[in-house]
Amino acid sequence: MVLKMAETSPPTSCASSPIVASPMGTPLRKVLNRISGLASSCRNKTGYRGRCRRIFHRDVEQEEFQYASARCLSSYYSVFVARLAIMIMLAILIALLTVLTWHFTKMYTTKSLNTLAFGLRYELLQRPILRMWGILNSTSEITTAQVKLSEYVMRRYSKPSTQAELVELYQMMKDMTWALFASRKALNAITINYKNGFVQAFHRDHKNNSTFYIYSDLANYSISGTESPGNKMLSMRQGWNDQFIRGNVSAIWYREPLDPISGEKTGKALPIPPDEVINIAGPSQVPDGVASWHVAVSKYTDSPLLSAALPVWDSSNTSIVAVVGVTTALFSVGQLMKELVEVHSGYIYLTSHEGYLLATSTNAPLLKNTTNGTKLMMAVDSEDRVIRMGAQWLQKAYGNKFPPGDVVHVEKANLGGQHYYIDSFFLNLKRLPMVGVIIIPRKYIMGKIDERSLKTLIILISASVGILVIGCVCILILTNGVSKEMKLRAELISHLNARRRAEASSNYKSQFLANMSHELRTPMAAVIGLLDILICDDHLTNEQYAMVTQIRKCSTALLRLLNNILDLSKVESGKLVFEEAEFDLGRELEGLVDMFSVQCMNHNVETVLDLSDDIPKLVRGDSARVVQVFANLISNSIKFTTSGHIILRGWCENPAVSSDSVKCSPDQKKPLSALKTKLKHHGNHMKKAGKRDKKIVLWFEVDDTGSGIDPSKWESVFESFEQADPSTTRTHGGTGLGLCIVRTLVNKMGGEIKVVRKNGPGTLIRLFLLLTTPADGTEQHGRMDFAKHGVAVILALHGSMGRLIMSKWLSRNGVPALEASEWNELTQILHELFHPRTRNCGFDDHYSRGEPLRSRIHSLQDMRNPVYIVLVDLGLLDLSTDIWKEQLNFLDNFSGRVKFAWMLNHDTSNAVKIELRRKGHVLMVNKPLYKAKMLHILEAVIKERHAEFHKRSPNGNRGGSHECVEIDSTHFETCSSDDSEISEKGTVKSNTANCQTPKNCLVELTRLGSEVNILRAEEDECNAWPKLHDTEDAKCENSNSPEQHYVSSSTKDEDKSYTSKAANGEKSLEGLRILLAEDTPVLQRVATIMLEKMGATVIAVGDGLQAVDALNCELVGKEHRRDRMQTDICGSPPYDLILMDCQMPKMDGYEATKAIRKSEAGMGWHIPIVALTAHAMSSDEAKCLEVGMDAYLTKPIDYKFMVSTILSLTKRSA
Amino acid sequence: MDLVQLQRQLVDYRTSLYHEGFLDEQFTQLKELQDENNPDFVVEVVSLFFEDSERLLNELSKALEQQVIDFKRIDAHVHQFKGSSSSIGAQRVQKLCIVFRNFCEAQNVEGCLKCLQQVKHEYSIVKTKLESMFQLERQILNAGGSVPV
Repeated sequence: MVLKMAETSPPTSCASSPIVASPMGTPLRKVLNRISGLASSCRNKTGYRGRCRRIFHRDVEQEEFQYASARCLSSYYSVFVARLAIMIMLAILIALLTVLTWHFTKMYTTKSLNTLAFGLRYELLQRPILRMWGILNSTSEITTAQVKLSEYVMRRYSKPSTQAELVELYQMMKDMTWALFASRKALNAITINYKNGFVQAFHRDHKNNSTFYIYSDLANYSISGTESPGNKMLSMRQGWNDQFIRGNVSAIWYREPLDPISGEKTGKALPIPPDEVINIAGPSQVPDGVASWHVAVSKYTDSPLLSAALPVWDSSNTSIVAVVGVTTALFSVGQLMKELVEVHSGYIYLTSHEGYLLATSTNAPLLKNTTNGTKLMMAVDSEDRVIRMGAQWLQKAYGNKFPPGDVVHVEKANLGGQHYYIDSFFLNLKRLPMVGVIIIPRKYIMGKIDERSLKTLIILISASVGILVIGCVCILILTNGVSKEMKLRAELISHLNARRRAEASSNYKSQFLANMSHELRTPMAAVIGLLDILICDDHLTNEQYAMVTQIRKCSTALLRLLNNILDLSKVESGKLVFEEAEFDLGRELEGLVDMFSVQCMNHNVETVLDLSDDIPKLVRGDSARVVQVFANLISNSIKFTTSGHIILRGWCENPAVSSDSVKCSPDQKKPLSALKTKLKHHGNHMKKAGKRDKKIVLWFEVDDTGSGIDPSKWESVFESFEQADPSTTRTHGGTGLGLCIVRTLVNKMGGEIKVVRKNGPGTLIRLFLLLTTPADGTEQHGRMDFAKHGVAVILALHGSMGRLIMSKWLSRNGVPALEASEWNELTQILHELFHPRTRNCGFDDHYSRGEPLRSRIHSLQDMRNPVYIVLVDLGLLDLSTDIWKEQLNFLDNFSGRVKFAWMLNHDTSNAVKIELRRKGHVLMVNKPLYKAKMLHILEAVIKERHAEFHKRSPNGNRGGSHECVEIDSTHFETCSSDDSEISEKGTVKSNTANCQTPKNCLVELTRLGSEVNILRAEEDECNAWPKLHDTEDAKCENSNSPEQHYVSSSTKDEDKSYTSKAANGEKSLEGLRILLAEDTPVLQRVATIMLEKMGATVIAVGDGLQAVDALNCELVGKEHRRDRMQTDICGSPPYDLILMDCQMPKMDGYEATKAIRKSEAGMGWHIPIVALTAHAMSSDEAKCLEVGMDAYLTKPIDYKFMVSTILSLTKRSA
Repeated sequence: MDLVQLQRQLVDYRTSLYHEGFLDEQFTQLKELQDENNPDFVVEVVSLFFEDSERLLNELSKALEQQVIDFKRIDAHVHQFKGSSSSIGAQRVQKLCIVFRNFCEAQNVEGCLKCLQQVKHEYSIVKTKLESMFQLERQILNAGGSVPV
């Protein structure tokens, strides 16, 4: 359709077509609209409906549908319009080209041809006219000559008086005339008509080539007739007319045949009637005495004759004596015309001014026979069709009024259905004006041109039509491609749109989940809380108890799943915001390993933390999230690992070395940098927060010896609800969300995580995190140079992996290390070291590696005055029987020469601990062993040694086995809290600030020690360690036995014990002072009762402002109220804990916390603040922690969880 | 009236309250907290709840009658109401509060008004029910019996 339009429209609207978009567009577009609308609606009906059903939100889809169809429509319009425009332009172009080509070819040819043709026609006509001229000229010359001669002769014989003279005169005239006649062959006749009526004439018949002499009978003429007087001249002349001659009927004319050449008489003269043969020019033809011309006809010739007449005057020139007439046939003109026409075709004719035909190029007769004799024919009556029509056409066009000069040039006269050129020329002869007309058929000149130009036109048009068609097809194809592309694009856009919507709706879901978190968690918390209460119930039967416990477990699992989902949805909905805070990555991970090691120990799985030394101590990031990543990974590993080990490796990416080569090549790790003292290190590490940060890439690996993951599942394990083996859900439980969360978190932190191939069984998950680090990186590695101190370590540990890693690390740092995996090995080493002579040779047989061991032992012995540290795993002792005491006694033998450090299990019984302390083994650490703990042990030993040196020097060289070591207990406190508590940075800082110089420390310590000693006396009487306040225990122990180092890192263990206690014992919060800030009276009351039931003293306030006020009031009257001695000693807060509702009138929980923390800054303590929030989101948690709260509880309050939280916090801070 | 019958009636009534969803476990927990030190703990808390609720409902009605509605304030009130109702275990009220808060977030005045009416309604029901329950308990106590657990 478009094509057709394009074809038809350009000729009509060529001019307006370039701006077709506006004027032409409107009706056209309507049509197009309808068509495309129809098409798209059809398509939509088929295509979209199917999709409609699938999508959940029908109205959204509807909207999209309309949107898409509108888009489609508009694209159709544009395609159509573009097509149309291009086609029209093409059509115009081609049409223009065609027209121009045709025009130029045709016009120029025609013009030049016309010029040529004109010349030709002119030439053609000119020649007969010239011939005519020639005839006329010769005729007039002859006539003049005849006249002159006649005059001469007549003058000789003037006034002939006698008959004889007259005859002589006539004879003379006859001879003379013959001479002239004979000289001109073309002449038809010469006549002399004398005054007296005598006629002499020569006549030549061209038909039969005979010549005649015609004369009148002389006898009838008298001379008298000539005697008419001169005065009667006029009347005479009047009488001298034809009738005079005709009247002379009686006269007899004779015709005498002559030899045409000699003029001799060849026959008898025959009388003929007058005027029968020829016209005799009479005086009537020269009425005024001058020469005259006329055209005459003769019955002997079929062509008109041209006759000229001249009078012959007498000598006095007053009267005419005779009239001479000369007649020439116009035959030769016609002949010439015929010849010309033969060569050139066409028609030529000559007419007199009146229109009588004089000569034509055809054979048509020029005369017509009428009853009155032959007459000249008019041109319009000519028998030749063309001439007749041409004459008629001329007459019709111009009538009798020819244009000036009578020159007519007509190029295209239609004569009988054919085109002719008609040209006429006027020949202005005096008395005989003539018109020459030439008619040439146009075909003759322009025939080829016309034909060719027609052909050219046809070819041009067909060619341009062809081009147009091809062009249009091309455009169609082209635009089809474009429109297809556009359609595809539109489709793509709509798909993208759909995807965006789908994503949005998924986001909505996530958001919805995130918003619903509280709603979801609240009932769960309630269920769990109530179950806890139920478990506490004494009246339950065993069966019921088991069931309830089961329910409790399930609920916890459900809650965990819920939390996972919420975490995930929060990440997906973009609500998760990472906080940016400095944290000690190593310490966080150590805490994590501590936590999991408890779990692992039951599984007989070794948990090892292997962090490279180049990992910066402080990094900036979201510690909670980082820990969550590793917690998930490790718990995942634990789940699938039944025996062996789980190693968490970490190293910092060295830009110079690729990550792969760094991995598993601990030898390349940076050596320790310059020596820094620990104090300086501690003093510095909080100062430089938030200065010039730089990004670092931290690589981690979690390596386990578990069941492993099939390589095909390496990618999919990170998907939601995906486990490598579906059956594992049954055996191991879990939601399958853990790894998904991990990956999401890692990705959000700018890292990547993947499973990597490993040698041997198990799984190796490698990830890297992008974290910023404070730029003062050089101080990160401030460690002791242990080699200088001559320390050697014997590692007597169970776990082979941990031992290996630790010994490697030690030897890297210049500390020689020996390894022993069991008791016998240890004893052998000790024997080798200290009793080389008395050693039992049997040992060598027992141990295959005796030789290298011994060489290493010897190398140790080469050391100058070494300090041996024996790190003994408590598991090496036989605790099941009483043998362990003997073993201890055995070790005591070496106590003077080596320092023992003990690795405790989390479940190590108190009796063992007490026994160890009693024996003077004060260096105890909980499993697992990692760098930081080792460092503490080393430092403690080295310090002890230094102190020993100092003591010894004033007292002389005592050199004994007795040791009296001063403990930097404050410093130790720092260490322990460093180890155990993640979020207690405030305390750490204040503590480290307190003991910046060792001297101060010592002074303070002694004071502390003495005072605590007093306290101990009282408590000893009770004869029971107050179980709820382990830290007090620790203090007491410290003061009790000054040599003791208790490195505790088991907050988790303690938490655990507390929770169990809380569940069992009613009054687990006995003696605690708790400030409760809660605005809702109901909640306030409930919480108060809950807490009071557990023995706590509760002070309830209605809002944050009151809470702050209450705290300040307490501070004023603190001295009087507090009854606990240790708080007086080191300045203790008025409350042990604050429970803070987050949303309160006047001042909300966050503000209140900030205010409290501010006021605390100068006091040197830290009151734990627990948030009570109705929001279960982790972001709220983050907010809580951000403002300085220590923990948070969700409402409604979970009884058990509250108690455990409170206990863990109060114990630590006391 | 027979004491046993009264006690049974109380138990039935209480069970029906749980079944019909007026109360949930939180109320049970509340009852657990009641002991000889705080013999009237539940009644005390519930009456606190009544007082608080009436104040909050009044505030809400007032706030919703304003020309320019302060949705933040309403939200805070409803939040509080939700907290207190969940604390005593009036779960129907609590659920309505959640809906209410959604409307609040969407700033839907009509929805809020409708919800307020519903909340008021539910609250009055739960109030009547609880009061009648306490009435029963008091009767039992007056009759010299003990309230069955």
